[in-house]
Amino acid sequence: MKKSHRFGAIALAAAATLTLASCGFGGGSSGGDASGKTTLNLLVPSYSDNTQGLWEDVISGFEKANPDIAVELEVQSWDNLESVIATKIQGGEAPDIYNGGPFAGFAADDLLYPAKDVVSSDTYSDFQDAFLANAEVDGTAYALPLIASARALFVNNALLEQAGVAAPPTNWDELLDAATKVSALGGGVAGYGMPLGSEEAQAEAAVWLWGGGGSFGDASEITVDDPANLPGAEQIKKMIDAGATQADPGSTNRSPLMDIFVQGKIGMQVGLPPTVGQIAENNPELDYSIVPIPTKDGSAFTLGVMDQLMAFKNDDSKKDAITKFFDYYYSADVYVPWVQTEGFLPVTKSGAEALSGEEALKPFLDVLPDAQFYPSTNPKWSATDGAFKSLFGQIQTKPAQDVLTEIQAQADAG
Amino acid sequence: MSSTTDTSSNPAGAASGRPRPGGAGRAGNAPGGAARGKPGGRDLVKALPWIAPALALILGVVLFPAGVMFFNSTRDISQSGVDKGSVGFDNYVEVFSFPYFWPIFLRTIVWVVVVVVFTVLISLGIAQILNKAFPGRRIVRLVVIIPWAASVVMTTMVVYYGLEPYFGVINKFLVDVGLIDTPEGYGWTRNPMTAFIWSIVIAIFVSLPFTTYTILAGLATVPSDTIEAAKMDGASPARTYFTVVLPQLRGALSVAVLINIINVFNSLPILKVMTGSIPGYDADTIMTMIFKYIQNQHKVDVASALSVVAFLIVIVIVAVYVKVVKPTREV
Repeated sequence: MKKSHRFGAIALAAAATLTLASCGFGGGSSGGDASGKTTLNLLVPSYSDNTQGLWEDVISGFEKANPDIAVELEVQSWDNLESVIATKIQGGEAPDIYNGGPFAGFAADDLLYPAKDVVSSDTYSDFQDAFLANAEVDGTAYALPLIASARALFVNNALLEQAGVAAPPTNWDELLDAATKVSALGGGVAGYGMPLGSEEAQAEAAVWLWGGGGSFGDASEITVDDPANLPGAEQIKKMIDAGATQADPGSTNRSPLMDIFVQGKIGMQVGLPPTVGQIAENNPELDYSIVPIPTKDGSAFTLGVMDQLMAFKNDDSKKDAITKFFDYYYSADVYVPWVQTEGFLPVTKSGAEALSGEEALKPFLDVLPDAQFYPSTNPKWSATDGAFKSLFGQIQTKPAQDVLTEIQAQADAG
Repeated sequence: MSSTTDTSSNPAGAASGRPRPGGAGRAGNAPGGAARGKPGGRDLVKALPWIAPALALILGVVLFPAGVMFFNSTRDISQSGVDKGSVGFDNYVEVFSFPYFWPIFLRTIVWVVVVVVFTVLISLGIAQILNKAFPGRRIVRLVVIIPWAASVVMTTMVVYYGLEPYFGVINKFLVDVGLIDTPEGYGWTRNPMTAFIWSIVIAIFVSLPFTTYTILAGLATVPSDTIEAAKMDGASPARTYFTVVLPQLRGALSVAVLINIINVFNSLPILKVMTGSIPGYDADTIMTMIFKYIQNQHKVDVASALSVVAFLIVIVIVAVYVKVVKPTREV
């Protein structure tokens, strides 16, 4: 009696503990079905509420043109995407096509087809060279550029005017001055929206560290703990100490803070092309402008982010089907509406031409030539990215150097 | 004593006084069990069809994943999830050499102790009130279940958004009554200490219904004649409660505490929502740390090692608790 109770309690404890770490067995079937069709599994993140519908349209168009190929779509949130893909790979159920960010780790584990092998040469040569170069590991591109985005500073004209700032800032000194003046307006208004919380700390970090002449490293080495990154980190602290930012920047996430900007309570914040649509939808009266991101010396710079499509080597018989799918997807008729609806920038030459007249995208297309990218081809980038997300916000309270050292250590260990 | 309490306690009182086959009470149980256990093999074979489903469930749902978890904790699993061979106990070394491990460990203990103690104390009070007859008692009893019926993540999200600066209702209220003088409110969930304290409050809130009902069930088994006897002997209400009622709640209380300890120790969603955006490791417990290993660092191997450690900690706590409190010993 007593014994069985004790065992019961331990079993209960065990069951409860295990639910967290052992969720490593995903279901899902793959491979061809009885009718001889080839089935491609497609795993994509959700960029917006439109994402699922857009992919469904692509797939139904593709299946109509290729009746012998079926495509199964799985949409995940960005939060879960990377754990889902890791779980699937661990369980031997890697998708055939995957839309994600960091991919160098997959390439290092020899899981991916080289990009050249899964698209026709016409499609391959249509990619803009800078993007393709950013998808290379040791000279071979392992992923296909999918979309690009660039960042720019969104400025609330009304608040700046109210604070007596004549023109949007172009360098750090002007930015600090303008943000301090706007913050001084009171009433809960913040001068500069600085989201260093876990959601996308690496982006805001890059805006400052790179804007001060630093870098996160390259394909072979991660250099976060580098003297070149210190000016940017110190400037972040200066902004915080001067009260030029919103409260608790170290743990503020980007999306909720952008909502506050849209509501008109923040003077300036770095945003993305989709932010334009967000403002149009939620607060069309907002009087704002989009200007290049201020840097230390005022030189032009933006943080470019590129997401990729990659093809996993599951079964060589699927290679032709994957190639057909990619060639179909990147044809201008399919690709351009896709990118346009999602509000991102195109990565193909034909796509850029088709969208060159687009008013809302113009400020971003203008800064794109000066874009710098994350060192995402470095196998340690994924660990670096995680380290920034979980540690960089500490810069609010800790010395800048300590934070950089800690991030470097965690990145090296990953 | 009201008639409601009387009728409800009658059947329970009868049940607790039921005759036991094979000799009475605690002493008779163990020898009886040993005697029954002797024939061994044949009985076991006979019993197998009956216990097989339960055994299969325990093997499949408890032991197998535990085995896989332990196995994973000794492997080197790459970030993309490829198994690269055995590394012995290196992952455990990494867990224990992590500079924040001991603070996180201590915070986990504080988290469990504070939540469980307050939950039980508050539940004792609520159960006492609900045990008295008053108009609308049934509705109040239903209301108490609500935190239990609602999803924990949902409850936490409600509080989380309430605490948001700029638009959270709790912040707005505190600003309006003048307790906070920054117009956008205070970043309760942006600072490790306040976020952790609010998490404790939510954890207590969602643990109350189960604990209250367990204690309420215990109160229903307290025979009314013992209380009447105490009253006739002139015991004060306080004395009646502490020397007559409380000892009889021992069984219910010890089960409630045990299950709460396990539950609270393993609770992830509240802390994940409330402290998720805070950088560093100043508001983490072991569970959120496991989550961070998986989510941010993609170290399934190290996360497994920490899970095994957490598993052992729970077993030790439960074993000590069972040894000391003997929850199954009858009064």
